[in-house]
Amino acid sequence: MAAVAVHQFVQCITCHAWSPDQSMIAFCPNNNEVHIYKLLQDKWEKLHVLQKHDQLVSGIDWSGTSNRIVSVSHDRNSFVWNQEGPEWVPTLVILRLNRAALCVQWSPKGIPLATVDPFHLRILLATTSTDGKCRVFSTFIKGVDTRESKTGSSSDPKFGEGSAVSLTFFQCKEELTFSFSSSTLTQQQILQLDLSSSWAFGVNWSPSGNTLAYVGHNSMIYFVDDVGPSPLAQNVAVRYLPLRDVLFVSEKMVIGVGFDCNPMVFAADKSGLWSFIRFLGERKESSSGPKSGSQSWKEGKGVTEVVENDGENGWVISEAFGKLYGQSRQGLSNDTVEPSKIQGAAHDNCINCIELLKQKGPKTKRFSTSGMDGKVVIWDLDNQHDLREYL
Amino acid sequence: MAEAEKPVEPGSAENILTKIENKSGKIENLIKQFKPAEALQTALEDSPPQDERCKSANWTVVHKALMAVKDVEGMLLSLDPKYYDILMKYVYRGLSTGDPATCDRCLKIHEKLTEKVGFGCILRSLADTVNTV
Repeated sequence: MAAVAVHQFVQCITCHAWSPDQSMIAFCPNNNEVHIYKLLQDKWEKLHVLQKHDQLVSGIDWSGTSNRIVSVSHDRNSFVWNQEGPEWVPTLVILRLNRAALCVQWSPKGIPLATVDPFHLRILLATTSTDGKCRVFSTFIKGVDTRESKTGSSSDPKFGEGSAVSLTFFQCKEELTFSFSSSTLTQQQILQLDLSSSWAFGVNWSPSGNTLAYVGHNSMIYFVDDVGPSPLAQNVAVRYLPLRDVLFVSEKMVIGVGFDCNPMVFAADKSGLWSFIRFLGERKESSSGPKSGSQSWKEGKGVTEVVENDGENGWVISEAFGKLYGQSRQGLSNDTVEPSKIQGAAHDNCINCIELLKQKGPKTKRFSTSGMDGKVVIWDLDNQHDLREYL
Repeated sequence: MAEAEKPVEPGSAENILTKIENKSGKIENLIKQFKPAEALQTALEDSPPQDERCKSANWTVVHKALMAVKDVEGMLLSLDPKYYDILMKYVYRGLSTGDPATCDRCLKIHEKLTEKVGFGCILRSLADTVNTV
């Protein structure tokens, strides 16, 4: 089982972030608050409720170095929360946005402050937006020694600009030195990708910064190599429902999460060609599944389902499809039906957030997901032997 | 015997309409030769056009080919995968006509196409607001 822990917190979670030691989790329960829970004696206890935003909190990040939390909201504000004693005290960050902010991230760890000469840290920022475009900016933060950072090495930020998205980006030390919206950013757009004809959501950099992946609401995932003047894009059509967020677990493996409620594994072969490998979680139908590739009808207990087994991954199409195709078939049950449930799945509603966890070993294998079912699920790829070659 | 093709220049709606007319001739011939799958693929080439009149003309041609397909599974096997998404868009256009014969045929194609390509195909046909049919 790749899902090693499932925590049911609330009815619906918008986004989540872990404390540096992962003993605490901060999330938005689909309202204007941030809730902080701590694991005390094997039980999650609600410790704090951060109330300051007026609208949905759409992005949270917990700094690994300074233990501060940053939150952004549809109310176009951002707060940095500092823990002072038992309380979390908010500081407003003026963003000058005229649209909702959707996500936020602290800058990478370990960037030293300038000592003698203030160097500029050149960072590549990738953004996705509801205009379907992915834009990559080369941007600068003042006052940071940057000798180690080369082009392409980035903080894997996820944000977008344009019609509905913006970013707040901070230096990781004490001073708030840099804050911008798309209009005030010192930036140079180095690339604009117009691969998606619909909304684009999560975007993520590979560990080396050479590859970018982002997802569109048209059930597509885009992989872009050599981000720069001549990028190499791969459009991979997803057979299933659209993805909302994406995470590189290694240079050659990406996990996508979305409306199928089950993480999807994508991997690149030796020639760099990306493709869908399989779902990560369990996918058992609630009935005895039929043979692969075929479609059959099952009736019983007033439930009519169309059950299709897609080879390795069986899935249950809701009875709506049954009704759609069934007009020429006999014996359709008219009794009220229960919605078909996939048993054994970790999430039972859309997964909209995926975060990397601290790793136990040298290879990235653990990550967490949160979704509209109010659950946070911890995943571990350790037992997934078929995926080892990509890690 | 195929008619001589009228000369075509790219760009204007008139020229695209002419192209569609040429396509229509080819498709009718293919249907007469009992090659509905090829006819459909020909109909789907260069689809969809941008102009409204061209969209209607193209739909007429695609519809003709769709109605000629009897063996849906066979047709899908021989259809180039790059046409799956555009076919799904036309299936929805067919379903929106309300005409019983068209809807019945489109429903059958929808079922088999979804089975073959998955929900993603439906999403792509719905989410694409730029290349509409």
